[in-house]
This record gives sequence, C-alpha cells and structure tokens, in this order.
Amino acid sequence: MRPLPFAWRSLSRQPARAVLGLAGITVVGALLFDMLMLSRGLLLSFREILESTGYDVRVTATDALPGLGPPIAEARAAARALGSLPEVADVVPVRFGSVSVRGADGRTASVALLGTETRRRGEWRVLRGSDLVEGTEPPSIVVNRAMAQELGAEPGAVVEVATVLPAQPFRVAGVVEFPFETAGEASATVTLDGFARAVGGVAADEADLLLVASRPGHGAEAAVAAIRAARADLHPFSTEQVLERLRQGEFSYFRQVSFVLSTITSFFAFLLVTTLLTVSVNQRLGEVAALRALGFPRRRIAADLFAESALLVGAGGALAIPLGLALARVLDAILRQMPDVPARLHFFVFEPRALALHAALLAGACLVAAAYPALLTARLPIAATLRRETLS
Amino acid sequence: MDVHLVPLLALLLLLASAAAEPAPGILVSRTLLRDRGLEVGDVVRLSADPRGAGAREFRIAGTYEPAPDPSRFTSKRYEVRLHLPDLLALQGGEAEGDSVGAVNIALADPADAEAYARELRARAPGVAVAPTTAGDDAHFLVIERFHLAISLVTVVGSTAFLLALMVIRADERREVAGLLRLLGVSRRRVLAQALVEGFCIAAAGAGFGVVFAAATQGAVNAFFQWRYDTTLVFVRVTPAIAAWCVALALPLGVLAGLVASWTLLRRPVLELLRR
Amino acid sequence: MSAPVVEGRHLAKVYPMPAGPVEALRDVSVAVQAGDYVAISGPSGCGKSTLLHILGCVDAPSSGDLLFEGRPVAALRDHERTRLRLRRIGFVFQRFYLLPMLTAFENVEIVQSEAGVAAAERRARTAELLAYVGLADRAAHRPSQLSGGEMQRVAIARALANRPALVLADEPTGELDDETGEQIAEVFDRVNRDGTALVIVTHNPALAARAKRRLHMRSGRLAPPAREAAR
Repeated sequence: MRPLPFAWRSLSRQPARAVLGLAGITVVGALLFDMLMLSRGLLLSFREILESTGYDVRVTATDALPGLGPPIAEARAAARALGSLPEVADVVPVRFGSVSVRGADGRTASVALLGTETRRRGEWRVLRGSDLVEGTEPPSIVVNRAMAQELGAEPGAVVEVATVLPAQPFRVAGVVEFPFETAGEASATVTLDGFARAVGGVAADEADLLLVASRPGHGAEAAVAAIRAARADLHPFSTEQVLERLRQGEFSYFRQVSFVLSTITSFFAFLLVTTLLTVSVNQRLGEVAALRALGFPRRRIAADLFAESALLVGAGGALAIPLGLALARVLDAILRQMPDVPARLHFFVFEPRALALHAALLAGACLVAAAYPALLTARLPIAATLRRETLS
Repeated sequence: MDVHLVPLLALLLLLASAAAEPAPGILVSRTLLRDRGLEVGDVVRLSADPRGAGAREFRIAGTYEPAPDPSRFTSKRYEVRLHLPDLLALQGGEAEGDSVGAVNIALADPADAEAYARELRARAPGVAVAPTTAGDDAHFLVIERFHLAISLVTVVGSTAFLLALMVIRADERREVAGLLRLLGVSRRRVLAQALVEGFCIAAAGAGFGVVFAAATQGAVNAFFQWRYDTTLVFVRVTPAIAAWCVALALPLGVLAGLVASWTLLRRPVLELLRR
Repeated sequence: MSAPVVEGRHLAKVYPMPAGPVEALRDVSVAVQAGDYVAISGPSGCGKSTLLHILGCVDAPSSGDLLFEGRPVAALRDHERTRLRLRRIGFVFQRFYLLPMLTAFENVEIVQSEAGVAAAERRARTAELLAYVGLADRAAHRPSQLSGGEMQRVAIARALANRPALVLADEPTGELDDETGEQIAEVFDRVNRDGTALVIVTHNPALAARAKRRLHMRSGRLAPPAREAAR
C-alpha cells in the first residue's frame, strides 16, 4: 500500500479528529487565500481602472499625486509639445475641482468636477444620452448616475454650478460612468472652457494632469523617457510607475496587513497539522516501533506522515479556495465602504499568482508540519519503545 | 485663523542664504525637516509655482508633528504651516482677493456640528460644509468592521483547532473514562471533568493570547510607526478587548469540551475499555 | 554444516540509568539453527525481551557479536538491518500491533508490498497465509472485528509473509486465555514443522514445553531450567 492511500486510512481511523483538522485548515486556508488576494488586489484592480482609460502615462507638475499638487501652467502648449513627440499618440489635459451644483428642481449637491477635452478613449462610458461636446451654449456636461439621481440631471436638463456668481448653466448631454467615480458621489465632466467657467478665478490654461497615450510600438516607458527629455519641468509617470508608487505608499498598509495575516495563518496551519500529527504519532508509537521491527524503513514511516499531512493540508487548502472566494466577497464589500474609494476598485482580486502562492505556502506548512512528527518516528528507539509499550 | 496648513507638495522649497530682512516664520513638519536636512532657523524659499516663480523667503521658526490621520498615514507628511496672509501673498496672482480653501470652525458645543452644518448649507448654497469627524468616523468604522470580520474567521478556525485538541484529549482519556464509568462514576461527573478541562485550556489560551498581545503591541506599533513614519497607534489592547477575548474563548472552550466528551461518553462502557 | 540462522556470541547489554548502569544481558551466547524452535523463559526483567530484540536486529548489543546467517550484523548499516528484518525475520508481538485501519488481508499484504513483491504474487501468498492460520473467512475484517486469538493469528501470518528464516515472538500468548493460547501454540508448531526457525519468549509453560530447546534466563544470564539442570 502506497503512502497516500495508507495516509487516507490513517486519517479515517479518527474521523472526528481528521474532520476538525480539515475544518481548521479550510478556515485558515481561506483567510490565507484572501490575504494573498488582498496583497495585490488593490494594485491589480487599480491597474485595470488605469488601463481602462486608454492612457498609459500621467504627467503632473510635481511629484504629487494628481490634484494634490500645483497645476501645470500653459497646459495647452505643454500638451501640444508632448503630442508632437514620436513616442506619444495622444495627450489630454485634465483639471480637477469641486463645485456645488443646483438641479432644475432647486436641489443642490457637491460635485467632483473634471475639466477635459471631448472623449477620445476610455475616459468615461456613456450610459444614456449623448457625449460631451465642445462649443455649445450653455456648455455641455456629462454626469454620473449618482448626480443624475441626486439632482434629476437627465440628458437635456440644465443644471447650474452655484459655486461662482452668477451661477453658470450647463446642459446635461448624457449620463456616464467614470472609471474613478466613488460610490454614491456625484461627479461630472465638462470641457476645459466649461471648467474655467464653472470654477471661476482659475487660470484657464492650466491642467492638474496630462493624460498621455503612448504610440503603439513604443510603449509607456519610451514615452516617459521622451517626455522627460523634452520637458524636464514636467513629471511623467507610466502606469507601472504609478502602481509602484501606490504599492510603496498608499496601498502598502493592506500589503502589510496581508503579509502579517498570511504569516499568522500559515503558522496556524502548521501548528494545527503538527499538533494533530504529533499527537497521532504519540498515540501509536508502539505501532510505529512494530512496523520498524517488521522492516519498514524510516523513510517509509516519514513518507506516511508527510502523506497524511499532505492529505489534510491539500484537502483543506482545496476547500479553502471556494470558501476564500466567498469570504473575499464579504471582506471586499466591507472595505469598499471606505470613503473616497472608486466604485470599481476592489481590494480582493483573484489571480493565478495568489492561487500558486496559496498552494506553495500551504505546501511549505505541510512539509514543516510533518517534519517534527517524522523526526520523532525516525529517532524512535524500536526495542525501548516495544518494551515500554508492552509494560504500559 | 492666522495659521494655514499647506501640503508642501504644492510648494517648491529651496534652501536660501540668510536674508538681510527677517523673513516671516513658518512651521515645518518633522518628516520634511528631517528628510530635507533642514534645521530650525534656516531660511527657505517657498513658491506656489512648480517652476519656482514668485518664490519668497521664510524662516523656519519651529517644527511640528502633523495630527495623525488614519486615512493618510501611508503618505509622507511633507507640510508647512504659514500665516494666512503669507500664504495668500505667496499664491499671489492665482488667488484673487481674500479667498481661502476652507475655514475651520470650533463650536461651543461639538454636538451641534451636524445641525450647524445643515443650517449653514441652507443659508449659504454652494458652500460645502462637513463636520470634521464625519470622514474619520467612516474610515474607522470600515477598518473596524474589516478587522472584526477577520477576527470572526480566526475565531472559527481557532474553535476547530480547540475542538480537535479536546477530541484528542478525550480520546487519550478513553480508557480512564471507561474505567470511571465501569466503577460507577456517572456520565455527568466525567463530563463535568471534561468541561472543567475545556474551561481551563480556553482560559489559559485566552490569557496567554491577551498577555502575548499586550506584550507585543509595543513591537507591532513600533514596527508600523517606523514603517510609516507616523505617531499613529495601530494596536491597543484595552481591558474591553481583553475581556471580549476571554468572554468569547471561555464558552467556546467549555463547548468544545462538552462536544468532544459527549462523543466519547455516549459509547458503551466496554467499547471505551477495548484496546 | 551451514551457519546458524542467528548466533549471538558473548552478548552483553548495558542500559545507562540515572541511578547507574543496568546490565540487562551478561555474556549470553546462543545459536539458532534453521528449523530450530527455542523457548526463552525467566522472571520479568531478566533480559528475555532484550535478547529477543538483539537477535531480531532491532537492538544492538553493548558488546559481543551477532551474526545473522553468518554475516556480522554490526557491520550492516541501518537500512541494511531494516531490509534484513523485512525479508529474513518475522516478529510476533504480545499486543499484536496490527494496523487497525487495515483489514486482516491488508495487514498481511502490506509487509510484502514493502518488500517489493508483485501484486498478484502477494495476493496469492496472503490468501494462502490466512488459510494457513485458519482465517480465510476473516480476510476482510478489521482488527477491531477480530478476537484476540484471531488477531494474533493474523500477526503470525504477517510475520511469515516474506518467508523469513526466523520468526521471533515476544509473549505471543500474553494477552490470550489458555485455550486461545493453545491454538496459537499449535500454529507455531506448524510454522516450525514447515521449516521456519522460531524463538519465543514466554511465561507460558505450556507454550515453552512445545519448543525443541528451552532456555532459562536469570539476571541477564542464560541458565538451564532448574529441573533440567538437576537431571
């Protein structure tokens, strides 16, 4: 009988113990799997959102994140200069602001306002109505669902930006979905001219951010290098660089939490299996000594223990995956309630790497867990054990 | 309000030679002072323009620790505080007239914040009014819920572990239990012993857990404070948390003892004694 | 004349103890020939089991030489001794030590499987052995479904599975009643008649009486039984 079926029989000898061990490993395995999904979930999700816009380089005036630093002056000229680079396919200036908007029925709401050019890539997705257009009077505005609902701002309606005096009217062209919109937060986009009107007192030719699409065949890194060479005063970041920065900074807390909890859960799995196997071995020392006396080599006894550990951890680890996925949905829903988190952002994202790491960590825990009981049996003095067991 | 806080990321900061006229004083955040090698008394040039246009000289009058902010602790707190007129002057052409980004208001009774905000919103349409605690509360609430959910999962895992341990312990005592039953000791008595044992294991485990957490909280805080260069406290083992931990562990321990022993004791006595 | 199956020369075994070393065996010399049937008896703690374990290559003497089929066991490496036990020695224990999660058939088969016997061959051999010990109809039963005597008969079948030259039994009737012990003794008689050398450590005079040679031990030494010595 090979070690694996032998291990199966050994485990089925104490079904309650095996089931409880399995349950423990399934639960901690699920948590481990979730923590592995969390460790890179934000980055993967954020990457997906960044890439969905169709732009792979972001340019700001300083190292600050867009909207937190000073704007780029003479933005249109800067955009033209960057657009003429052979590595660059497209450049769009973007402005951020916060305004108070009054709907047709007199209700007001705070709105996160973006000023940019008409849509060329995936800056937003039109859900109903039409897209943003230049040069209309009143200026056109596209709003998200939250704003449409809050202010009754359906396509064709006129809303007023009340932050400036006199209030500036805008006609709603369409209802759209922005990649970075926050759940329940009203947001809207207008043209750059419209933005200057809406926020008032802000220089029209400025941009908080230049969205750059690299030319196919060149890639984002080449575009970044070209922008740096052409305009040393600007700070370009490829999507990878943005993500790396977030990984090191803003998202690092969840990486730390995930690291700490992954370590703890791996240790817990190891502890659980070691305890079960050690107790199990201690309860059948006589049997083990007898097998050794009958000519079973140490490696066979050790192989049986490793197989037992593998069965427990393997089955528990496999069951942990569906449980982990279900648990991740719950935890994700909790974390996404955090203020200012984009509605499309997820904290727990499945990726094959997480699955591979999960398997590797559990395999490590399985090996280490079986090592101590295996050592116990390898060092077992056969004659002394048989003598002791007979006397007991 | 005569002091204004500006994220330094919006400013260009350069070390300047000592000025002839005394420059206005500013406060510089601890991290900025340290990372840029500045010292109190240094004169620096600040500009609202990324290219350094319109820079003005300021003297570092002191340093301060920014209020720990759980929603921003992963970011470097590069900040300076300067007098509002100095800031307005620095922003020069950009800020038209006497405009500010926000006004902080301290109410006589903080409990009135929501009502005051509602009233202000009604009286001054277009002005965004938010009680200062609102955002923080939401962050804390979410983080607390997240940690609570993880705690629940670990409790479930620990319960399985505890139950497995108790089953093992019960199994180890199979013969003793059988012998006691054979000698006429009632099931209830044997069960009571197992319950006491489960209670003791759970109490010892919970006690050890609380002591371990209390002993290591300093190290955990020190690590995260070092990692994020913040004074935020990440872990605090309060008496309430310790009480929760023990209150949760004890019934679970007793329950585990009960379940494990019952599976054993419901068997016939002779089966317990059979090797 | 061929070499004895197992031969111990001047065997001694000393156990280091906190209160001082304990001499379990003192200058014991014994040879077991092919087809021999030896019973070792003596008071508890006289060194019977220690001698049996040394003869079975599961323990090493502190001094003296042990030869198995003419080869010095001390020269064998651990895995070679393990292999020797698997193929040439069979053990029967007082407490049977059957694997409780395996059936009687599997308990007998597993040692052959470990020795690398082909599946068809080991199945036939197992069936043959279970019939040999009178348990053909109990092959699918687990140890928990067998009586003490039946378990010991399965253990004997297991000990014979790899056609060993020597079977060692340590108090094989120690946990059995007289009648069942008698049945086991008959099985051992048959095993020996069929050519396997047997060494049995026992307190059971009836079992010891069936042996061709009886050795008595006292305080770690071999001594002739008082009755025989008087002859």
